[in-house]
Amino acid sequence: MPLPNENTPPWTDDEHIECVMIIPEAPDVRTFIFRAPSGRWFRYRPGQFLTLELPVSTATIWRTFTISTSPSQSLSISVTVKKNPESVGVAWMFDHLRPGVRLKASGPAGLFTLPPRPDGKYLFISAGSGVTPMMSMTAFLFDRGEQPDITFINCARTPRDIIFRSRLEHIASRLPDLKLHFVVEHTNPYEVWSGYRGRLNQIMLGLMAPDYLDRTVYCCGPEPFMEGVRESLIALGFDMGNYHQESFAAPVETAEEVPELADVIVDDTPAEVVFTKSDATVTCRESDTILAVARSSGHNIPSGCTFGLCGTCKIRKRSGEVHMVHNGGITEDEEAEGFILACCSHPIGRVEIEV
Amino acid sequence: MATDSDVLAALMSRRPGFSLPQPFYTDAGFYDCDLRNIWYKDWLLTIAAPEVPKTGSFVTLQIGNAPVLIVRGADGAIRAFHNSCRHRGSRICAAERGRNAKLTCPYHQWTYDLDGSLVYAREMHEDIDPADFGLKPIHCETAAGIVFICLAKDAPDFAPVKAMAEKYASPHDITNLKVAATRSIVENGNWKLVMENNRECYHCAGSHPLLCRTFPDDPNLIGSFEGTSVTVGEDHVRRCEAAGMPSRFYMEPNGQWRFVRIPFIGDACSYTEDGTPAVTKRVGQVPFDNAGSLLFFHYPNTWNHMLSDSVTLFRMTPISPTATQVYTTWLVHADAEEGVDYDVDRLTRVWIQTNLEDQAVVEENQRGILSPAYEPGPYSSLQETGVIQFIDWYAATLQQRLTGRSNTMAAE
Repeated sequence: MPLPNENTPPWTDDEHIECVMIIPEAPDVRTFIFRAPSGRWFRYRPGQFLTLELPVSTATIWRTFTISTSPSQSLSISVTVKKNPESVGVAWMFDHLRPGVRLKASGPAGLFTLPPRPDGKYLFISAGSGVTPMMSMTAFLFDRGEQPDITFINCARTPRDIIFRSRLEHIASRLPDLKLHFVVEHTNPYEVWSGYRGRLNQIMLGLMAPDYLDRTVYCCGPEPFMEGVRESLIALGFDMGNYHQESFAAPVETAEEVPELADVIVDDTPAEVVFTKSDATVTCRESDTILAVARSSGHNIPSGCTFGLCGTCKIRKRSGEVHMVHNGGITEDEEAEGFILACCSHPIGRVEIEV
Repeated sequence: MATDSDVLAALMSRRPGFSLPQPFYTDAGFYDCDLRNIWYKDWLLTIAAPEVPKTGSFVTLQIGNAPVLIVRGADGAIRAFHNSCRHRGSRICAAERGRNAKLTCPYHQWTYDLDGSLVYAREMHEDIDPADFGLKPIHCETAAGIVFICLAKDAPDFAPVKAMAEKYASPHDITNLKVAATRSIVENGNWKLVMENNRECYHCAGSHPLLCRTFPDDPNLIGSFEGTSVTVGEDHVRRCEAAGMPSRFYMEPNGQWRFVRIPFIGDACSYTEDGTPAVTKRVGQVPFDNAGSLLFFHYPNTWNHMLSDSVTLFRMTPISPTATQVYTTWLVHADAEEGVDYDVDRLTRVWIQTNLEDQAVVEENQRGILSPAYEPGPYSSLQETGVIQFIDWYAATLQQRLTGRSNTMAAE
C-alpha cells in the first residue's frame, strides 16, 4: 500500500476501504481499523460518522458509526462498536470482518463536531460506546500540540466496560487540563474501584465540573441517559445554547440495531409545525420529532418502526426545513419531491406539513 | 366441480380442428386445472423493464390466485416476489404501481428490503429468524427489456426465449424506451377465447375497420406458419434482414412462441388512422419508418407488436372461468416528448378501439358458448390455422402435465 505524498488526494467514498486491524477494547467492543487501498488519506472532522455498507446474508444494510480515530492521524480510520444480543450489522462485523476484507463506505458526515476554532473549555459527557466521538475529539485536541481544557466524563456499566480507559489515562498523564472522570453502575468483585458509583446526577456533575457553566457541553449516549443530562443541566441553570448532543437513532428496544449514531444536534430552540389540512400551528422544540408533535396535538400520522426504516409515516412537507436521519425508509427522489418521514424528522424553525 | 381426470377425459376425446368442448370455457374445475398446470407453470410476460425505471419502482399484478410484485432493487436488478407478507399473508403492495424505498406491509409494518429480505418486524425479532421470513421469490427473467416471470418451483428453460427475443427485438431497444400509456380492460370471456380471437384475423374485416386500414388480414402473412409464400411478406423480410433486422418467421419447436416481421398495408408505418408514424422519433436502431411490425406471441398470455415508432405489449391474466384482464402498454423513444413528438390519443387510438371491438366479440362468443345448445364447431383451415395451432399447443401441454407423458398417448 503506497504512502501518501504531497500530491495524494484525500479518500473519497467511491473507493472501498480495507479492514487492516481489529482490536478488542472491552467485552463485546471492538475497534475496526481501515485503510484506503490506494494509499489515500482520510479527511474528516472529529466527531463525524462513517456509513458502512454491510453485506448481511442476502441483504445489504447500512449502518452509521462514529469515527473513533482522530483526523490528525489521517492514514487510517476506525470505528469502535459494541455488540448487543440484538445486533445485526455489528454481529456481522464481528463474525465476518477480518483484515483484507473490503467494504463500501460513505461519508464521513455529521454535524456533531468541534467548532472550526476549538479553543474553548469543554465538558464531554458520554455513556457506553457514546465515548467514541469524545475519543476522536480529545485525541484531535491533544494532537494539536496545545493544552486543551477538557473535563471528560464517561459512564459505563462496570469498570471493565469502560472503552479507551488506558488511552485516555495516557493522554491525561500528559495534559494537565484534561480531567478524567469515570462513573460505573456496578463494580467487579475483588477489583478495586475508587471512582464514582451509581448513575450520573447533578451532585456528581457539580463535583466533577464545578465550572460547568463556563464550558461547552458535548453529550453522547442512549437517549434516556442524554435526557437525564439535559434535565440536570437545565435544572442547574446551564445555557443550553452551549449544549450539543449526538444520539442513537434506533430505539434500543426494537432489536433492530444498536448504536446507530446520527448527526442530530438537538437543542431547545423553539420550533413550529403547521398542519396544513387542519390549519393548526403547534409550537414545539427542535428536539421533537414531527411524529411526536403530531401525536401530542391530536393529528394522525400512521407510523410503524419509528426509526426511519419502514416508511409508513411518509408525509409531504410544504415548506420549511427539517433535520432527518432515516434508515433507508425513503428514496432520494421522494425527498426531492418534498416527502419526509415524520418519525425521524426534527423541525428547524417553522415547518409546514400536509397533514 | 370437475376434477383433473374429467379434464383429461375431455382432452382425450376432443375433436382436433374443432373448438373445445363447453367446460373448457365455462367450468370452474377446468379453470382451476388451467391455473395449476398452465398459468402456474409457464413463463408469463409481465411488464417492460422501463415500467420500473428506478430503484424501488414496483408493479403489481394478479395471476389467477397469485398476487405478484415486481420491483427494481438498489442494484438495478428486477425481481419478482409473491405479494404476500410472511407475517399473516396480507398483500404488501395494493397499488398497481408506485415507488417505495422499502416494501412495507400496511397491516403490521413488517418491512422488507427491495431484495425481499425481512429487515424489520416490530417487537418480534427475538421470536423469529428474519432469514426464514423473506418474501418468497418468483423466477424472473428479463429478455430484450421485457420482464417474464414463472410461478413454478422449477421453471422451464428460459434461455431459448431470451436468446431469440434479444435477437429479434434488439433493434427496438425496449430497455431504453419509456412508457407513453397503459390501458387495462376486463373481457368477460375465458382466457382461451381471448387468445383464440387474437390468433386469427378471420373476424378482422367484420369487426376492426380501423385496424384494417394498416394491418393486413391475410392469413398467409400473419398465421402460424411461414408467411413468406406471399410475395409481399417475403420481400419485406428480405428488405428488413438486409438492413440488419432479424425478421424471418421463427417458431419454437413446441409452438409456444413465435417471431415474425410483417409489412403493413401499402406505405403504412404505424397503427394510425392514416398509417403515418405516431411518433416522430424512431425507436432503437430501426432503420426506416415502414419496417412493419415484429409480431411476438408467447402462450399462454401475450402477443406483441414492435414497430419503427413504438412498441405495444399486450398481456392477459385470468380472473375467473369467464373473465380475463387484458393489459396494454405503449412504449416510445425515451426522449420523445408528449405533445411535441407524439400525441397519446393518436398513438393509442387504433388499439384502444380494436381492444374494445375484441372485447365485444369475445364476450358474444362467451355468451354463445354458455348456451346449452353449444357444441364444438370446425375451425377454418384457411383462416384459423393460428387458432388450431394454439389449441393443439394447449391440449398437448395440458395433457402432458396431467399425465406426465407426451401427447403420443392420444394416438395409442
